[in-house]
Amino acid sequence: MKFLDHLEEWLIAFLMGTATLITFITVLHRYASGFPIPVVQDALIKINLSWAQELTIYMFVWMAKFGAAYGVRMGIHVGVDVLINKMNMPWRNKFVVLGLLSGALFTGIVAVLGSKFVWSLAHTDQTSSDLEVPMWIVYLAIPLGSSLISFRFLQVAWTFVRTGELPKHDHSHVDGLEEEVKA
Amino acid sequence: MNAAIIFVLLLVLMLTGMPISISLGLTVLTFLFTMTTVPIESVALKLFTGIEKFEIMAIPFFILAGNFLTHGGVARRMINFAASMVGHWHGGLALAGVMACALFAAVSGSSPATVVAIGSIILPAMVKQGYPKGFGAGVITTSGALGILIPPSIVMVMYSVSTNTSVGQLFMAGVIPGLLLAICLGLTTWFLARKHNYPRMPKASWKERWGYFRKSAWGLLLIVIVMGGIYTGMFTPTEAAAVSAMYAFVVAVFVYKDMSLAKVPKVLLDSAAMSAMLLYIITNAVLFSFLMTSENIPQAMAGWIMDKGFGMISFLLVVNVLLLMAGNVMEPSSIVLIMAPILFPVAMKLGIDPVHFGIIMVVNMEVGMCHPPVGLNLYVASGITKMGITELTIAVMPWLLTMIAFLLLITYVPQISTWLPQLVYK
Repeated sequence: MKFLDHLEEWLIAFLMGTATLITFITVLHRYASGFPIPVVQDALIKINLSWAQELTIYMFVWMAKFGAAYGVRMGIHVGVDVLINKMNMPWRNKFVVLGLLSGALFTGIVAVLGSKFVWSLAHTDQTSSDLEVPMWIVYLAIPLGSSLISFRFLQVAWTFVRTGELPKHDHSHVDGLEEEVKA
Repeated sequence: MNAAIIFVLLLVLMLTGMPISISLGLTVLTFLFTMTTVPIESVALKLFTGIEKFEIMAIPFFILAGNFLTHGGVARRMINFAASMVGHWHGGLALAGVMACALFAAVSGSSPATVVAIGSIILPAMVKQGYPKGFGAGVITTSGALGILIPPSIVMVMYSVSTNTSVGQLFMAGVIPGLLLAICLGLTTWFLARKHNYPRMPKASWKERWGYFRKSAWGLLLIVIVMGGIYTGMFTPTEAAAVSAMYAFVVAVFVYKDMSLAKVPKVLLDSAAMSAMLLYIITNAVLFSFLMTSENIPQAMAGWIMDKGFGMISFLLVVNVLLLMAGNVMEPSSIVLIMAPILFPVAMKLGIDPVHFGIIMVVNMEVGMCHPPVGLNLYVASGITKMGITELTIAVMPWLLTMIAFLLLITYVPQISTWLPQLVYK
């Protein structure tokens, strides 16, 4: 389990960082190859980066699915809780569990639909336009990611039922504030 | 009839407190399984293709850029700069709060984080100078919301995604209203401070000002890079976002040295989680709007409104009330993603400028964050000031009324929003 947690965190941080780097390099490349420096310009023009945009999109799609799973674990997916917060504890807790299970149900359904979709794609020879990777590998993000999200919802629901603890993300956290407030 | 079922279902699911993205998704699935002939397979495809646009990728990049600079040190530099510029007027430190909030919110991209960062530093200082606690809390709570109007703004990217309006034009359109609102909030502060004779600070010399400006300029340059880059056509908005993320990384780690390299993976992870949450809402909102379009709901609503003879004025009034109500229970991105596809076709039929309509929505989101009973900024401010919500509600009143007056101004004077983009994108 710890291994899966780390893999998930490592994967999404890696995708985020690399996608940023790739897009940044594409922009640099476009401007750098505009400078008339003899040998360098020729070399730069020869490098073809047209695949970069497609790769960035696919990386973010994968990041979105696995990041959403990580987010469930961190309690980042918020809903409208004004009504249930007004209820008494037992009722509120029932709705919290209902919400988590609904999350598991929806992502579970999507995972099944996605698997079917990927399965049918795998029997075609569709490839992406620039990178030319088989599309079913790209779309594998749907069943894999959604299954993981579903699993995370169940995990959080189970912990909540057993211990009453719910992960809560602090949207207003600011680093390095303690030192500044003292100063 | 179908429209009623969809909306009631969505509303009921949302009120159970489940994540917005899940309630949107379940609404769509329930409807598809029971009531239509749209093949389920096309839904699976939509789930993937919904975010397969390069324009949407500006969101994670902007979040990353903001997170690199959401740091106490950056907030401190902006407060110092602001205080040196406006501190000698009536209510100096409070005015500096408005200005620092506007700057920090634009760079960090998060309203609640702005309230916490600027508030935690400036409020104790204000109390020490003899301001009543409520005054400072009112200033910071409302000014913290300025960020979504001043570019770069993630909410604007959301609007552009769901209505196909140009991000560059929206950003440009936000500049004047953003500055104007900051000035309005500042004026309110100034009048109140003069009336109650709140302390002023000694006037800073131009040399000091220059010194503070140089220190905060690295952060502020981010706005210049984004706006300048998009405006001159050097990069697309998404590229501008990626460049600003790289820039923010360099500034945070190597120039300001607020952040050690070892902290970078954590920032990447947090930004990824935040972006993933928003992208997940987008995915499901795209599904939802696909469902609405396939049921012809926006068109039917537009037709109905035209039949009733609603004019632009009454329509915009209804839109404002609706959005302010929604602002009480949801965060800005979700509201824009759900409401924009429904309201936009009607607005177009009535001849409202798409960019102007976007700015109206964004200003509504700002007001929604600060108004009781459950504005997000109120909650955050209540956390740092240890004041109750009722007490804070009274405290924010002068500025909140200013904001509502400003909202009406923006709603009925489109030129404030459309003048600059029309000038620039001629």
